[in-house]
Amino acid sequence: MKRILKILGIFASVSPLVAEAQNRFPKPDFESGYIYPEFSYFVPDEMLWNTVDVVLLTIMMSVVAWAVLHRRKRAPVFIVSIISVLYFGFFRSGCVCSIGAIQNVALALTDSSYSMPVFVFLVFILPIIFTFLFGRVFCAGVCPFGALQELVNIRDFRLSKAVSSVLGIIPWIYLIFAILYAVTRSRFLICQFDPFIGIFRMGGDFGMIILGGLLLVASVFTGRPFCRFLCPYGVLLSLFSRISLLHPSVTPKCINCDLCRNACPVDAIRPPYENKIKESRAAGVNRLLVYFVFLPLMGLSGALLLHVAGDSFSHANKNVRLHELIMQNEANPQDVQPVDVEVFFSQGGTIDELASRVSEIRRQFISYSTIAGALIGLIIGATLINLSLKRTRKTYEIDSASCINCGRCFDYCPKNQLINKTE
Amino acid sequence: MATNPISRKQFLRQCGSIAAGAAIISVSGIAVKQMLKKDGDNFWQIDPSKCTFCGRCATSCVLTVSAVKCIHANKVCGYCDLCGGYYRANVKDLNTAAENLKCPTGAIFRKYIEDPYFEYTIDEDLCNGCGKCAKGCNSFGNGSLYLQVKQELCKNCNECKISKVCPSDAIQRVSADKVYMLKDG
Repeated sequence: MKRILKILGIFASVSPLVAEAQNRFPKPDFESGYIYPEFSYFVPDEMLWNTVDVVLLTIMMSVVAWAVLHRRKRAPVFIVSIISVLYFGFFRSGCVCSIGAIQNVALALTDSSYSMPVFVFLVFILPIIFTFLFGRVFCAGVCPFGALQELVNIRDFRLSKAVSSVLGIIPWIYLIFAILYAVTRSRFLICQFDPFIGIFRMGGDFGMIILGGLLLVASVFTGRPFCRFLCPYGVLLSLFSRISLLHPSVTPKCINCDLCRNACPVDAIRPPYENKIKESRAAGVNRLLVYFVFLPLMGLSGALLLHVAGDSFSHANKNVRLHELIMQNEANPQDVQPVDVEVFFSQGGTIDELASRVSEIRRQFISYSTIAGALIGLIIGATLINLSLKRTRKTYEIDSASCINCGRCFDYCPKNQLINKTE
Repeated sequence: MATNPISRKQFLRQCGSIAAGAAIISVSGIAVKQMLKKDGDNFWQIDPSKCTFCGRCATSCVLTVSAVKCIHANKVCGYCDLCGGYYRANVKDLNTAAENLKCPTGAIFRKYIEDPYFEYTIDEDLCNGCGKCAKGCNSFGNGSLYLQVKQELCKNCNECKISKVCPSDAIQRVSADKVYMLKDG
């Protein structure tokens, strides 16, 4: 009886269906005094490095805030940029960055089953708090992406206001889609299309390295193309920077020399402007009414558009793709099943269960992308309205939303030089 | 009500400041509440009980030579002469010539211990994480060869690129106390 059981056991273990079958062959008893080799596996001290990261992030942002707001100098910001590129960029090779942490936070806020490490949250919220207090000190040179572009920037070919405003819509759309894909647990768009990570790691996805190289070449000739026209975290920070408690100001007793505006890499300094068109009150009210009709209309049409497109976005989700693959396979059975389908069935998955999961994901996608569409519509509308507005400015003004606290203008301002020298 | 443009602007600014402060505090509050429940895990690792050796680890990692390597659990191994992870199936002559071996990079080395036992070791510098040997070992042997993410190589991406193509969701975040999921404990 024992032998029969043993034979049965061998048969069962040879059958490939039993994946868990272990010890088909007994542990050998060595006679030659063989000793099992010992292996030790490297366990990285992530806790230590994460602490160093957060401390350095805080120190560097404080240094930039002190240099720009108190000393009105660029040199410390430049040093911070070099340290950031070397440490956050090349040494830590960029993950997790504040830009990517948007997705973790968005996912943690909507999905209670996702647990976010404390470190990731700190990396996300610290720059926002600093921005709320001092303006975009993170963008100035603490962010390795911004610092890298800043360091290679030689000439500043200016883009017209219309072009840069329209291109400025892109990061909003990027941010909204990144959150849409993150909260539906489809993919982390920002991490997938990170242009500079390949440069920092000196290897990686070919297309992304090409994109990163092109952006770097572009940033030689124009200030920070990634920060202005792609970075989703930048637009988030610009919201907080717009109402920040402190931010850089034009030197008192400005002599209107225009040097600071020339030096600004992100076109944040607005020259004096006199709006000569005098508008009657009735016309003004009329214009305002048009805005109030136009904005909701943009929002509504955006919502409608993406509501229709929502279903096709859901293909980014792994489960949706798997369901589609299985359906194709059911309709047209192949001899060799795709590996995903095979694994799905071997793990005991059923089509019904997957279908219900997929329909839930699809429903999520449609409702979230409707909201996304409304937001995108509103943002496009607001940008257009902003372009059509003409405001009178008596002096040079710094637009705190787009100012990145790099401090270049301070080195060019003759008045500021004078103050710094006498101090 | 006499209002001039400056004070209106200031009023809007103050409203914005309050809203922004409230947003920071509320987001922090929700996040802290979540993080108190359970702190997130920091490392990517392959669960060997879920892994199906599909071979995507070798091609999908952001590193040019994947951070996933084959690991050998000696205490599970049967030290067989005819090793399913070492030899290809249906070879003509059973010798150690390269055309008979499963590993495409020649990373598995075999050493005679005593009759009939052979010891197998893996040169991790050569291993590309394709999992061909692990598949052979798991279907014909004890399953002592299996894939793991080598933490000294892993860049710890925010979202592991392999985890997005893994057919069995074997790559998951793990906590610091079980960075490796070893078969021989």
